Parts: sequence; C-alpha cells; structure tokens
Amino acid sequence: MSSSSLRYPPLWNRVGSVWYRHLRVYSQNLISNALPPFLEPLIFLVGIGVGLGQFIGRMDGVPYIEYLASGLLVTTAMFTAAFECSFGTYIRLEFDKVYDGMLAAPITVTNLLVGEVLWAATKGLVFSLTVLIIASVFGILNPATAALAPIVGFMTGAMFGAFGLVATSIVNNISQFNFLFSGFLSPMFFFSGVVFPISRLPAVVRPLAEVLPLTHPVRLARAIALDRLEPIIVWDVAYMLIVTVGLTILAIVRLRRRLVD
Amino acid sequence: MCFKLAVACPSILPEANHRREKIGVSSSGVHVYLYGMQNPVISVEHLFKSYRKVRAVLDLNFEVFPRTCVAFLGPNGAGKTTTMKMLYGKAAPDGNPKTKITVFGTDPRRDELSIKAIAGVAPQEENLDLELNVVQNLRIFANFYRMRGRAATARIEELLRFMELSEKRTARVRELSGGMKRRLIIARALLNRPRLLILDEPTTGLDPQVRRLIWEKLHNLMKTEGVTILLTTHYMEEAYQLADNIVIMDKGRKVIEGEPRRLLSDNIEKYVLELLDPSLQARVEHNGNLNGCRKDGDAQRVLYYSEDLQSLERLSAEIKQRDYIIRESNLEDLFLQTTGRRLNELQ
Repeated sequence: MSSSSLRYPPLWNRVGSVWYRHLRVYSQNLISNALPPFLEPLIFLVGIGVGLGQFIGRMDGVPYIEYLASGLLVTTAMFTAAFECSFGTYIRLEFDKVYDGMLAAPITVTNLLVGEVLWAATKGLVFSLTVLIIASVFGILNPATAALAPIVGFMTGAMFGAFGLVATSIVNNISQFNFLFSGFLSPMFFFSGVVFPISRLPAVVRPLAEVLPLTHPVRLARAIALDRLEPIIVWDVAYMLIVTVGLTILAIVRLRRRLVD
Repeated sequence: MCFKLAVACPSILPEANHRREKIGVSSSGVHVYLYGMQNPVISVEHLFKSYRKVRAVLDLNFEVFPRTCVAFLGPNGAGKTTTMKMLYGKAAPDGNPKTKITVFGTDPRRDELSIKAIAGVAPQEENLDLELNVVQNLRIFANFYRMRGRAATARIEELLRFMELSEKRTARVRELSGGMKRRLIIARALLNRPRLLILDEPTTGLDPQVRRLIWEKLHNLMKTEGVTILLTTHYMEEAYQLADNIVIMDKGRKVIEGEPRRLLSDNIEKYVLELLDPSLQARVEHNGNLNGCRKDGDAQRVLYYSEDLQSLERLSAEIKQRDYIIRESNLEDLFLQTTGRRLNELQ
C-alpha cells in the first residue's frame, strides 16, 4: 500500500484544496459576502453599546461598551460559520452540486468536510479580527492584551461550522435552517453572556447557559480581551475542542450518506 | 491472465491486444519479451447495488482494456451512472462477498484516492462554479492534483486550446453555453493527464456540431495519448462512433455486450422497414405473407426485419412513401429486440 499511497496528493493538500476553493469563490464577491457580517457587530456596538450603555454604566467591573465588545468578538464568528456550513453547504450539496465535481478529484468525503470546517474557522478568525480592529481603533479594547482573541474566533468558527454541517445533514429543505437561526442561534446570543453576565440569569436556568455552546467562546474571548484569565477557561477550551471534534465526526458520518450513494 | 514467454527478434510485432514487455536482452543480442493478454484497466465481477427497495445494478460483470472505449448504453434507470460512480467511490456497492472491483488493480472500496489520482471523471450534472471564470474553475481543480504556478497555467492553456475554449478564458461560467460548459467539465477531467476517463453522458442535450466536436476530441485522446475511455450514453450513434465495445444495460442488468458492428450483424437482420402508421399492417402483410421477414414492434410502430432489402421493398410496394422508412438496422432496434422495449419510451 505504501507505494500506491504516494500517487495521490498528501492530506494537507487535499484538505487545503477544499479550503482554497471556498476562498476563491468567496472572494469573487467579497463586498456582498463580507460587508453585512462586518457591519452587524458594528451596528450592535453603536446601537446597544453606545446607546444603551449610557444608562448602564459598568457591567461586571468594566464599562458596558467594553463588556459588550469583548463578547461581540466571537458572535460574528458564530453566525458566519453557522451560515456558511448550513445555507452555504446545502446549496453546494443540493443545488450547485459542486461536491459531486470535487469528489471526482482525489479527495475523500472526510477531507471535504474537514475542509468545510476549516474554512468556517477561517471566517471566524477573520471576522473576530475585524471586530478587534474596530474596537481597538475606537479605543474600546486594548489590542495588546486582546491580540490572541481571534484564535477564539477561529475555534468558534470551527465549532459552529461543524454544528452547521450536522444541521445540514438533518434538514429536508433549505428553509428548515430558519429553525436553527431564529430558534436557536439568535436566542442563544442573549443567554450566553454576550449582552449581560450569565450570573444574572435566574438560578434555575443558569446550568442551561453552561451547556449552550456560545457561552464558552464568549467567556474565553472576554477573559483574553480583558486580561482576566481564570481557571474556568480550561473548561471552556475543553468544551469547545470536544464539541467541535464530536460534531465534525457526526457530520462526516451523516453527510457521507448524502455524498456517497 | 495468460502469459507466454517468447524469444524473438524485435521486428516481430505482437498480436493486437497483446502486450509485450522487454524483460531482458540475452548475451547473444536476442531480445526477450514477455507476451500476455493485457491486464484490464477495469475489471468488475458480480457487482450489485440497491437503493432501499430499488435494485439498481444486478450481478454486473465487465472488463475494460487499455486504450479502448467502452460505452454503456441504456435508458434512464438502467444502472449506468450508478455503475460509473461505484468505480471511483462515489457510490458504495452492496456488500456481496462475490463482488470484485478493480480499477488499475486497486479496489475503489479500499483506496479511492489512488484511482481518482490517475483517472478523470466528468459527472453527468453540471457542477462548475458559476461565479468563477473558465480559468479559475480549472485552477481550483489543478490545486486538487497539486499542480500549481507555471505548470498549472501551462496545462490549463493546453486544455483550453484542445477543447477550443481559449477565447472564453475569462468568461464567467454563467455566461457559457451548454456545449462550452460540457467541454469545460471534460477539460477539468483531463487536468491530471488521466490514463482513464470516465464520462457520464458527455453529450446529452448538446447540438450535433458540439457532439461531433467532443467525439473527435475523445477519439484523439484515445488514439494519440492512449487514454482508456468508459462512457455512458443514450445515443446509439455516440456508442457506434466511439466505442470498441458496447454494453447494453436494462433494469440493472447487462443485456448484451460486444463490438458494435458485430453486435448488429450477429443479432439482428441488416435492414428494417419501419411502418409509421400501424393501421397499414394489413396492407403490408397481404394474406399474412411476410415474405420471409420478421415482424416486431408495438402499438405505435411496426417493424419488419430482413437480411434482404428487396423483400422489404416488396412488402412496402402498396403503401405510400410517407408512411414507411426502409433503413439499415441500428442499435436501437437491437435494444428493442433484446428488451422488448424502445429506448425512447423510458427517457
């Protein structure tokens, strides 16, 4: 087997080619693809942070806008990654049929789906970085301490990318993704410590917030951005790694049935 | 595999379809060759595939030899596409212990990557990136084969010239005609200089000129580069033009197989009288005398077959010219004869 396995490109090239394909297609319409998710956290920061912030003052020991900005570091990563691997993946799978073409090249289903997750993670990294740059320009966050926060954006992108792929393997038609966004991701935005600390939630629902996936990247990103490293972030990192790997494996098992007849 | 060892002077050419491999030169200058039947590029035995309750492929056996073209012919749902997909891991065969599949000596169930690295596949459905232009589409795929930079550019330009797409180099795929997209998909399948080309309905829905152009290109690939081609088609003429061997499939089974001209001469009479209006049967068969011709057909169409053109002319003597056609029999007639059905009624 060793002689024949030399004949096809190595693993990094196979996964990287999938990633490269997405980069090329995405950057073809860069403005329409990237501007809305770029503006979204900005609008939120101005509307809620500046507007509502005047009435709130401080939250969790820091000015409200700083609290909010440190949470927003990962929310765009979540939304773009989940969007990419749900609507985006579904369109590639069912409408454009691009996977049928790609799987004729020397890549496997696993290579393809890992490439999807890495691409979602990359978008998470980039949008996390953009939020950081804007927040730094306006003097909200300190870029020196928060410099590593985009790595959390990368992890967030990977986790919600894998999450989106699992959702893709479940839906019967594209409009069912509305349940995912309106029914799960948007409400989670408000109950994962982005706009207010989960410690202020009623005691009965607090354990639930600990289970929600967004809670962990938010706490991790804030710990880095505000330079408040606490032991609990070890649990956050572990949670994200386990969930990402678990969901990716589940997505591969389930989507293989759709990709291989 | 049968091998025979031969000691020969180099001027003696091996028989067609035989391979000779020089295994040495003896001290006296005599060349030693190993002759043998060529190893098939594809070898399939007892292939089964079912989708829930639908049995798509049933105990299929076939072989494809190097530098030849094999065409799978049959209506939609015959199992052609499924068979192609099982050769490169895009479909999983049923777990039958008797099933054997090898492509270049490799089982796609175990190692699809090695196969895909030296084969080119053009799937049936269009799956190009519509937002990208022609070159960008090819460049993305060149990357899958680890071709980059100048080497990739050179190969892409070569293929654009070959497929006559050079002028469309920077056109978005969205703007291309159906024929151009098809050619681009075939060009994409050729990026890695494949030794085997798997084409699923390469010319379906294209106009006759483009179809001829594609046939010509495929023919070139086979003759000049020694590419082995496996294709599926609905078109009798396509199979007849390109294939060294035809496999006619129906309902998941191989109905008949052979070299196209021989298939016809061995299995069906040379000429056919096609009656376009079945109500004229009585006038053709005066007193039930078929003049030695064989009758076949269905409610819409009646066919009389004969080796002898004059017998058919005698049959048609009393009917108007616009009500019948006399022609040479073709693969479609053969299909009708072997399956009892016409191809078109299933398409």
